[in-house]
Amino acid sequence: MSIHTLEVLVENEPGVLARVSGLFARRAYNIDTLVVGPTSNPEVSKMVIQVNLEGHSLEQVIAQLDKLISVISIEELVDGAKKPVKDTQPDYQN
Amino acid sequence: MATQHVPTANGTAMNGATSLVKSLEAANVDVMFGLPGGAILPAYDPIFDSTIRHILVRHEQGAGHAATGYAQVTGRAGVCIATSGPGATNLVTPLMDAGMDSVPLVAITGQVPSAAIGTDAFQEADIRGITMPFTKHNFLVTKAEDIPRAVAEAFHIATSGRPGPVLVDIAKDALQAQTTFNWPSKIELAGYNPKIVPDNQAIADAATLIAQSKKPVFYVGGGVIKANASKELAQLVEILGAPVVTTLMARGAFPDSHPLHLGMPGMHGSVAAVTALQKADLLITLGARFDDRVTGKLSTFAVNAKVIHADIDPAEINKNKFADVPVIGDLRETITALIPALKAALSKSQPDLTPWNNSMLKLKTSYPVGYTLPDDGSLSPQAVIERIGQISGTDTIFTSGVGQHQMWASQFISYEHPRTWLNSGGAGTMGYGLPAAMGAKVGSPDSTVWAIDGDGCFQMTNQELVTCALNNIPIKVAIINNESLGMVRQWQTLFYEGRYSNTSLESKRVPNFPMLAEAMGCVGLSCERPEDLDATIEKAMSINDQPVVVDFRVHRDAMVWPMVAAGTSNDEIMIARATAPDWDSQEL
Repeated sequence: MSIHTLEVLVENEPGVLARVSGLFARRAYNIDTLVVGPTSNPEVSKMVIQVNLEGHSLEQVIAQLDKLISVISIEELVDGAKKPVKDTQPDYQN
Repeated sequence: MATQHVPTANGTAMNGATSLVKSLEAANVDVMFGLPGGAILPAYDPIFDSTIRHILVRHEQGAGHAATGYAQVTGRAGVCIATSGPGATNLVTPLMDAGMDSVPLVAITGQVPSAAIGTDAFQEADIRGITMPFTKHNFLVTKAEDIPRAVAEAFHIATSGRPGPVLVDIAKDALQAQTTFNWPSKIELAGYNPKIVPDNQAIADAATLIAQSKKPVFYVGGGVIKANASKELAQLVEILGAPVVTTLMARGAFPDSHPLHLGMPGMHGSVAAVTALQKADLLITLGARFDDRVTGKLSTFAVNAKVIHADIDPAEINKNKFADVPVIGDLRETITALIPALKAALSKSQPDLTPWNNSMLKLKTSYPVGYTLPDDGSLSPQAVIERIGQISGTDTIFTSGVGQHQMWASQFISYEHPRTWLNSGGAGTMGYGLPAAMGAKVGSPDSTVWAIDGDGCFQMTNQELVTCALNNIPIKVAIINNESLGMVRQWQTLFYEGRYSNTSLESKRVPNFPMLAEAMGCVGLSCERPEDLDATIEKAMSINDQPVVVDFRVHRDAMVWPMVAAGTSNDEIMIARATAPDWDSQEL
């Protein structure tokens, strides 16, 4: 299936939505929906992004998202449950 | 987390501008390139008293490329500083350039006062938004107390992991407000923790794969230079005894004089280097990123090769080419770990690489990069560049612009040491060469620095010769003057039936380059005849107290060969117009 849902924790700072949406735009990744909301930590926001891969690899989308300094963690939501992203991409966070 | 040295000024009351300068001093900045204006003006007052050498450029683009040249030569962060609006947007090209070539760069820009942001104020530009796509990170600082932390984080991000440009945009009122200087003792970024040490399993898998391979090739990229891993690479190559190719960004990472060095791969790579990648059964990829200029048509690139891809940036893995064994980490750490692992693996099984090496070395001998002299006896651009390299020697630092002269400088100068070849590889920024040479000379004042420039490139950024002349930065500039936008003209010759639309610059008539150089406080020389070539280069070499510009008036129709035309397969490499290598005579 080419539609995946990512739950992304980001620094709650001005411009962070532009950083994420700009990344999707310039790399031609297709966002189906994007929701941003607060978390219990006022310094951290949560983005839930539905990405329609259309030929891009999920691994590459996650790796590029992960390069953003403002992105703290990324998890994939499958049937409402969190699934840690595949560790084929050893990431900056762990 | 990185710990930081805490300067003595900590806890002292000062304004934001002074705290910016104290922060730059705390980050061990010794030189910065910049040009003041309204929004950044508060910072220029404490700069006046600082230990940091500020070099006043003539255009902010020059500041950016000079900072890049400085960074490429020293391995430290280069620093440039500009005002808001057009000052900041003039840094856009150098920032993009540094992003493409992974250069540690910190750019400081003034911004309009925070209350005016978003009002289309005088000299207002959203430089944070503009530079978001190609900076590694950027900051907009609107409070004086946030300046030291932003600067500390900027230097940490720019120089760690995969290096890159970071911009710190500071509102004028933050520079003017009173604050207490507080340089952070540690930096913790929840979303940033580059992996330095590679996984043991990845190293073991890589070693095993190498020891099974019969046709391996080291595909060496600029990451080896960034990681200061040339010595370790040389050891690794000795252990395996396999051929090496160095990309445009990696020239000097491995000595050109080494018998196993096949040269540069890619669009204008040597037949041996291009073919080695195409025919290999294993690419040992070290800090390279499978750029389209190297791979040619990707679906036909190295189709029989397994791939080990060692890089510090996880996002490069599987981006263009699938990696059978990814190795994430700092390249010096990676190669250092790979050396004993490979020795152990080779002690169990060691395939005979002799047939493979011999066929590659035969290609290297049969098809060396070369050129023919012009029939009319005029000056050959390749000969000019080759002789500059030979006369100036391998300790010289070379920079270049972008185009034919850049390719010839990568082909016909022999590079023996890392950080002696600086060019704009990913971005292809015409005009990079001269200001980058200025920064390189500042970073390495005892080295001879030659900018190999084109007549087109030179006319984009030559204003920095004034900066060089006034600040005792005696660079040498070779204008390879073919009175054309030569590479574009070459494509017009090959792909547009010789219809030379807007590529004739007429730079043998106007401008008069030696007079232009003299007007800017430099020595201007000219050379038109092959018999004067050596004497002219030696004359330029003898002048060390002033910048020197030499107008080498060369033949117009010389072309860069070999060539893999854009979008075609590396298998279709041409050694001259409509001339492929004689594959039948080669055993591959």
